[in-house]
Amino acid sequence: MSAALQSATGAERPSIAATGVWHRYGPGRGLQPVSFEWSGPSVAAVTGANGSGKSTLLKVLAGLLAPSGGTATLSIGGSVVPDRARRRCVGYASPDLMFYDELSCAENLAFAGEALGLPDVRGAFTAALDQVGLGGVAGDRPAALSSGMQQRLRLALALLHRPAVLLLDEPSSHMDDEGRDLVARVVEHQRRTGLVVIASNDEREWTVAEQRIELRGRGLGGAA
Amino acid sequence: MPSNGSSSAAAVWAVLRKECRSEWRTRYGLNAALLFAVTTLTAVSFAIGRLANRTDLLAALLWIVLLFAALASLSHAFVREVEGRTLLLLRLVASPTAIAVGKLVFNLLFLAVLELVTVPMFLVLMGGPAPRWGAFLGILALGSLALAGCATLVGAVISQTRGRGALFAGVSFPLLLPMLAAAVSGTRAQWEGNPVGGQARLLAAYAAAVLGASLLLYDRLWED
Repeated sequence: MSAALQSATGAERPSIAATGVWHRYGPGRGLQPVSFEWSGPSVAAVTGANGSGKSTLLKVLAGLLAPSGGTATLSIGGSVVPDRARRRCVGYASPDLMFYDELSCAENLAFAGEALGLPDVRGAFTAALDQVGLGGVAGDRPAALSSGMQQRLRLALALLHRPAVLLLDEPSSHMDDEGRDLVARVVEHQRRTGLVVIASNDEREWTVAEQRIELRGRGLGGAA
Repeated sequence: MPSNGSSSAAAVWAVLRKECRSEWRTRYGLNAALLFAVTTLTAVSFAIGRLANRTDLLAALLWIVLLFAALASLSHAFVREVEGRTLLLLRLVASPTAIAVGKLVFNLLFLAVLELVTVPMFLVLMGGPAPRWGAFLGILALGSLALAGCATLVGAVISQTRGRGALFAGVSFPLLLPMLAAAVSGTRAQWEGNPVGGQARLLAAYAAAVLGASLLLYDRLWED
């Protein structure tokens, strides 16, 4: 895992390669085969109609979903990261990510930091909360936050372990202008050393991307 | 960055702490389990009095009370994550095996607390012969391990199915029956002064088989 840390500090570059990756949830639902190769430091965007598989692709890249076919590999400094270690190299934020309401924001992030085996959990979650402007509500329950602030908390989770790759699914959803600026700053900061993948149909979110793929079709078997 | 081994241990510990903290704050399962156990024992005690010489009934009653008091909570360990939509967060920070082992250890602790209240109350209210403590506690521990292992495994498998309530009962009934029969038989044997080695070995083998199968299966769960 030293490679992951090195990449986070800029010494090693992350890359993602997908070859014929597809996924099928059921008849007419899923991701059509897609191939690409992205290398950091850079920003890549995934666009496409609703149901075209943007979120599915990000889940496959995050190691949360085994594709029905094809391969998706994450490499750092030229070394392929094993699937079981991927969660420590990838930060992921999406609107369907929910937190434990019986725990405070800080406790949710502390739990994540402990589970990821971070050496300085308190320092990590304090820095992540400050970075997204939630330092003042660290002791509040996630349910007490507005939807925009909950989205910031998702960003904090993604940044917690300073990952080499940041996978952001509709990162500005529910956010006001200030929140959008925050997302832009996070993306700008991450692109200097790592790889950012943004899945969105909002052009304001992916306009900074150097690379973009557009997923066509509306699931397997649907009209393209 | 920690090694895979220490990272897995950290993830198990983090999941266990999170489960304990959540249960302590919500009392989601413990209050209901204790209420069931205390109400059942009190009602049976009032209805039929002490069963001093009926070791067959005593053994069956003890395990029935423990089983039904514990099962509702044990089976919900994963269902709560799915219904609260927090499973994604868990999977982002820990491997399926670490999640399941953390929840298994929590379920064992839950059973221990339940038994700490229920067993003394049972012995006082039902008036059975004094237990042979070594054999009694040994059968209780092995039975609890088998029960927690089985309930955790079935709960994980059915957690994302639609008819999970009915499915849990249908799947766990044939799996729990051998364990329950051995536990009842062993508990009765210790009260009657007979050896319990056979039942203890059966329970240990059952628990080992369930835990072994679990470790093989958990990494395949939730992949799609």
